[in-house]
Amino acid sequence: MADTLSIRRVSASPDAYVPISALRAGGPTYAKLVDIGACIGCKGCEVACKEWNDLGVEPTANFGSYQSHRDLSPKTWLLMRFNEVEVDGQLNWLIKKDACLHCEEPGCLYACPAPGAIVQYTNGIVDFNQENCIGCQYCVTGCPFDIPRFDAATRKVSKCNMCVDRVEAGLEPACVKTCPTNAISWGSKDDMLALADKKVETLNARGYRNAAVYDPAGVGGTHMMYVVPHGDRLADYSLPADPTASPAPMTALGFMKRVGAYLMGFGVLGALVHFLRYGPERLEEHGGTEAGPVSPSRAGGASPPGR
Amino acid sequence: MAERLLTRFTFFERLLHWVVGVTFTLLLATGLAFSYPALFWLTALLGGGPSARALHPWVGVLFAAGMAAMIAVWFRDMFLTGTDRRWLRAVRHYATRDSANVPPAGKYNAGQKMFFWVQGALAVVFAVSGAALWFPAAFGASFLQWMRLAHYLATLGGGLFLIVHVYLGTVAYPGTARAMIDGTVTERWARHHHPGWREEQTRG
Repeated sequence: MADTLSIRRVSASPDAYVPISALRAGGPTYAKLVDIGACIGCKGCEVACKEWNDLGVEPTANFGSYQSHRDLSPKTWLLMRFNEVEVDGQLNWLIKKDACLHCEEPGCLYACPAPGAIVQYTNGIVDFNQENCIGCQYCVTGCPFDIPRFDAATRKVSKCNMCVDRVEAGLEPACVKTCPTNAISWGSKDDMLALADKKVETLNARGYRNAAVYDPAGVGGTHMMYVVPHGDRLADYSLPADPTASPAPMTALGFMKRVGAYLMGFGVLGALVHFLRYGPERLEEHGGTEAGPVSPSRAGGASPPGR
Repeated sequence: MAERLLTRFTFFERLLHWVVGVTFTLLLATGLAFSYPALFWLTALLGGGPSARALHPWVGVLFAAGMAAMIAVWFRDMFLTGTDRRWLRAVRHYATRDSANVPPAGKYNAGQKMFFWVQGALAVVFAVSGAALWFPAAFGASFLQWMRLAHYLATLGGGLFLIVHVYLGTVAYPGTARAMIDGTVTERWARHHHPGWREEQTRG
């Protein structure tokens, strides 16, 4: 049991960038598998999420969709997005279970400047520790899936924590528990990948030739995966085709921070060395006649400025 | 015989300098804290992590206002002249205290003028990228990532310049710092560092 909450990565700490290959093996690595084709759109998972996590009710308004809320919020960690798309002349709901995907390489954690505000457990769950959060929202910037939500009142960011308190106790997350059609499965990452392949095969047999597993490599795979019936229409599911945990500006920032640390360190050292070599300037040495300052010229240093 | 003193900076100029100086130092310290986990303890200067993050942009507003006023007050004196260009070519002699080979400066030497313009440009980068990072909900993730990079690079540039600025203004050249405290310098200092300016001051 203790193993399920062993920490793998901590934000703003030297081990935030430990490569996956260097991590210690062992301990269960969990994954949630969402079979979108089996979802009947009941939103029971949304209710279960709110109940278990004590998130409270937010007023909703009809905006011409079957969807409950317009967007995720600090109080809504899970939202079934009802994307209305025409496929082969028929209206389809390409439903997306919008919640944290728990990336193996979490862009939010890499972007976070507050030590310990974001942790990744060895079981794969990425969790926010609000007591360490400083409210900068860099995690929002670092997330390729637009998941974390900032609460302006508390100045903290929150998101789905995969019901880490249930998982720690050996239970499945609340959304998995409540799903009436078993569209959400829970188990080890390997088992879920195998199950996903089976589900894709079934979909293929039913004529969904483009059915696919969504487990994007750009973030090292995720601990919430999808089986999408129309794998060629990821954008219609609001799923990025090629998400990355290290986009170009963040890679450049990481590199420049290292360079910058040396530059600033050498800047201070350089000033010290210059001071040791030349010391404080003594004006009386320069005579200061009306004709202008005179300097004791040193060997080889007396050439006139170039012109 | 007491040495003759020349007034180098007015009260208002000194006030502006210290508004910018104090705010920039606080911004640099907390900015480095947000950039380097090992320096996170520097957030204590503004009351800890959450409070430092909340106050950093407001201190930034003060800094930007100070910079804007400073630019308005000083920019006329800061255009490079022909002498300044020769000064820049002779900067090696300046750095090695070989003052015989340094062209005589007016009120500001070319190094000070460059410091002024570079810090002014960096302030614009700080203000633009800082405003975006202050209200991230209004922008896309990719744009904000580039703004983080820009904000950091400005921090690096500003930090390096601050090291040089403080070093030259304090221990390297005794008699300089008082220009920003009581506003005066000795005539001897002026004759050595800013002969053109000293001539203007003592002529009439």
